[in-house]
Amino acid sequence: MTCENKKKQLPLALAGAVILSIFLIMAIFAPVLAPYDPHQRVGLPFSSPSGGHLLGTNDIGQDIFSELIYGSRLSLGLAVLTALVSTGFGALLGLVAGFLGKRVESVIMRCTDFMLVLPFLPLAILLAAMLGQGFFQLVLVISVISWAGTARIVRAQVLKVKAKGYIFNLQAIGAGPWYLLRKHIFREVLPLITYHTMLSASNAVLIEASLSFLGLGNPLLKSWGSILYYAQIRNAMLTDSWLWWVIPPGLSIAFLSAGFLLIGFYLEAYANPRVERGQIDA
Amino acid sequence: MQVNWKRRRGTAQYLILILVVITVNFALPRMLPGNPLVFLAGEDVGLLSYAERNELLSRYNLDRPLPVQYVHYLRDLVTLQWGDSFSKREPIWDILWGRVPWTLLLALSSIVLSSFFGAVLGVRAAMNRGRWSDIRLLLIVSFLGSFPSFWLGMVLIAVFAVQLNWFPVFGAYTVGTGYFGLQKLADVLQHLTLPLLTLTLLSIGRYFLTMRYSLIELMGEDYIILAKAKGLPERVIKYKYVMRNALLPFITVLMMDLGFVLSGATVVETVFAYPGLGRLMFEAVLARDYPLLQYSFLVVALIVIAFNYLADRMYAYLDPRVGEEG
Repeated sequence: MTCENKKKQLPLALAGAVILSIFLIMAIFAPVLAPYDPHQRVGLPFSSPSGGHLLGTNDIGQDIFSELIYGSRLSLGLAVLTALVSTGFGALLGLVAGFLGKRVESVIMRCTDFMLVLPFLPLAILLAAMLGQGFFQLVLVISVISWAGTARIVRAQVLKVKAKGYIFNLQAIGAGPWYLLRKHIFREVLPLITYHTMLSASNAVLIEASLSFLGLGNPLLKSWGSILYYAQIRNAMLTDSWLWWVIPPGLSIAFLSAGFLLIGFYLEAYANPRVERGQIDA
Repeated sequence: MQVNWKRRRGTAQYLILILVVITVNFALPRMLPGNPLVFLAGEDVGLLSYAERNELLSRYNLDRPLPVQYVHYLRDLVTLQWGDSFSKREPIWDILWGRVPWTLLLALSSIVLSSFFGAVLGVRAAMNRGRWSDIRLLLIVSFLGSFPSFWLGMVLIAVFAVQLNWFPVFGAYTVGTGYFGLQKLADVLQHLTLPLLTLTLLSIGRYFLTMRYSLIELMGEDYIILAKAKGLPERVIKYKYVMRNALLPFITVLMMDLGFVLSGATVVETVFAYPGLGRLMFEAVLARDYPLLQYSFLVVALIVIAFNYLADRMYAYLDPRVGEEG
């Protein structure tokens, strides 16, 4: 049954990998691929698509296609960095809580409880508005609001691993806590952590887009969310320009976010013991 | 697997949480780099004369020690003297009070719709677990969840409001019509449709996944196997044995998800210029009206906390096993 699953999931994971590679190439070779500098006014404002401007121009005459290509840099970079920071922090807290137990555990778990109750986007808006709008501020804000889920699940997994017979046996023959944590517990939790890294990358793409759309992104960096912000305040939906000004950035966001998710699903087959037992087939 | 929704929180924990949120609200403008006056009064500090500055400092008690400021802050909070919004020139409390009903209308009706459809689809998927029809649904749902909510809203506006002209483009009601009664209701519903559709499409996935997951989990339980062994008809097992028990976690997730739905509502309201709390936060960001932004967050957070508390109590009531866990 497990084999069957992985067979069904493999094409999806490959699709995810292809999506991510396309965006990676776009981000790395942006100056080569983009026909114009996205920060320069290179055409008449509000032009429709034409040979010169594949996706037309925006409200101040910047080439939307070039903006789109440069936008992949911010989205991809931010997603990866945020995923590493927030999953790293969450996993660390989860490991510490699960392994040490007692006071430390209850304090950490109370904090994650609190974070999980709070509505994440309003909190992100508040923090982003007050911290200012640099790239690293955005990474910080998104990490602050998204570490808690990872911490909780990693802790649960650590507790389960700790209860396994072999850990107990190792302790009996004198294995120290640091050795156990490093050699066994961390390794058993690692697949789950990689899965969560993909999940947070996928979420980070969406949250960044939302914040940029609300005017909280960095005005100096092109981002898909900020393209949509200008499309919204210039009422692109009321004219035909939504077809080239609104649709492409939105699809880019969706595909990038889904790309991370598809790979994540595949990793989950390794991370989630339930799947191994064939209880959940997809 | 730890079953998350069975974690309980006591009343004391909720009170602490409320206190934390209130304190963060106090601390944020005072902790951040830069002059707290910018965050509290929204004045361009550089342009103020020395005397004006001192006048403002003492009005916001910023010249007093922090504990004193905190006490003043708590007193104002409880007596609802939340100050005036400088961008709207109205008391913050009045503005918020006018916005809360719209957000609740949007969020709650979306929860009802998406949980219903999510549950129906979840049951179907769980029954066909592992077949292509199940995987197809999973894929569609995950893909829908990948779309940015505001973008979905923008596309719906372009298609249904502008091209087809079926629904209004923005707002929660037509301004200056003097509609009342049924006419008013129809008008409000018409304005609600597109934002509601956006939010529902967005959150259906979570309910779908929860339902599917808990059904699959339940179908592996011993008592279901026994029921099958006894030869009970499939229908009885499905509805009486599985569904009933699956409803329990589902209802709780429903209530606890309000935070997620309100997050979605924040952007959706912005796109549709729907006069709720989310749109208000956006307006506050644009105007750099930090006090308004802070109190909007406070109110959103308090609403979410209140619903979580209700869900916790309700769960203890619905599931007698929970009580002892404390």
